[in-house]
Amino acid sequence: MHCVEPAVEPLEMKSDVLGRAKSGDQSAFAELVREHQAMVCSIARNFFRDRALAEDLAQEVFLHLYQNLASIESEAHLKFWLRKVTSHRCIDHSRRRRIKTVSVDEAPEPVSIFEWPDAMMQSTLRRIVATLPERPRLIVTLRYQEDLDPTEIAEILELPLNTVKSHLRRSLVILREKMGRTLGV
Amino acid sequence: MSFDLEKELKRSLRREDASPDFNARVMARIAAAADGAARKQARAENRWWRRLLEFFRPPEMKWALAGAAALLLVFAVIGVQRYRVQQRAAAELAEGERAKAEVMLALKIASAKLNIAQKKVRSPESGVRSPQ
Repeated sequence: MHCVEPAVEPLEMKSDVLGRAKSGDQSAFAELVREHQAMVCSIARNFFRDRALAEDLAQEVFLHLYQNLASIESEAHLKFWLRKVTSHRCIDHSRRRRIKTVSVDEAPEPVSIFEWPDAMMQSTLRRIVATLPERPRLIVTLRYQEDLDPTEIAEILELPLNTVKSHLRRSLVILREKMGRTLGV
Repeated sequence: MSFDLEKELKRSLRREDASPDFNARVMARIAAAADGAARKQARAENRWWRRLLEFFRPPEMKWALAGAAALLLVFAVIGVQRYRVQQRAAAELAEGERAKAEVMLALKIASAKLNIAQKKVRSPESGVRSPQ
């Protein structure tokens, strides 16, 4: 797996791809998928911590996009739409399948070691994030994966701004406490 | 050991690419869905009643159908008007008959009263001679 740097493309070129995809050009749609797969898959993967499930869900999102392409107005709208649909599908899927989320206190404590290699640190943090309840987990994912501010997150999840802010604050307290215990600091 | 949680969260939750065959799988799924939809559409179009309906729907037939519908509407309006006129005439006739019956009854009553009066006049007690 490798990290994806957001490609800087001229706006006209992007909207042209969207326009071509809307007019039925399959290769343009494939380009849209290529461009946004990392975002969609990562939201789902950070939510489920299950790569296969995340990719299945991402496929459904893109299929849904294909069927609703006519309603997409711009590149910005496309990003908003994908984030929104992915987030809602994650929650719906989680509720339907009753995926058990381990509460923070039940989560197994990683062994505290003196030196923390980056990979281990990140894996531990991801595991602890996965113990958060559905909504806070999604809010944390959108905040730190997508670098969205609480207002944008509130729009995507259709939640009041204060709810988003309080979820975020509480989640950070929980994560800090849990990481502190794990790191022994 | 210093620990910046927000920085670490950004690093841990950063975007990562999907499997290399992800795009191909998405496109295959879309193709399959489009194929399925096309087959469903074709099945729907092949239904006998739809074909029958299509048979009566060449472009020229649309004008003929519109004309027939307009004609039907005109006939319906004329029919309703005629029915109303007939109803009104029947009501007027019934009213006339009733008035006629009332007049006849009044004449009968008047005639009976005249007869009684005439009998009284002709009786010997009245002292009135009947004209020769």
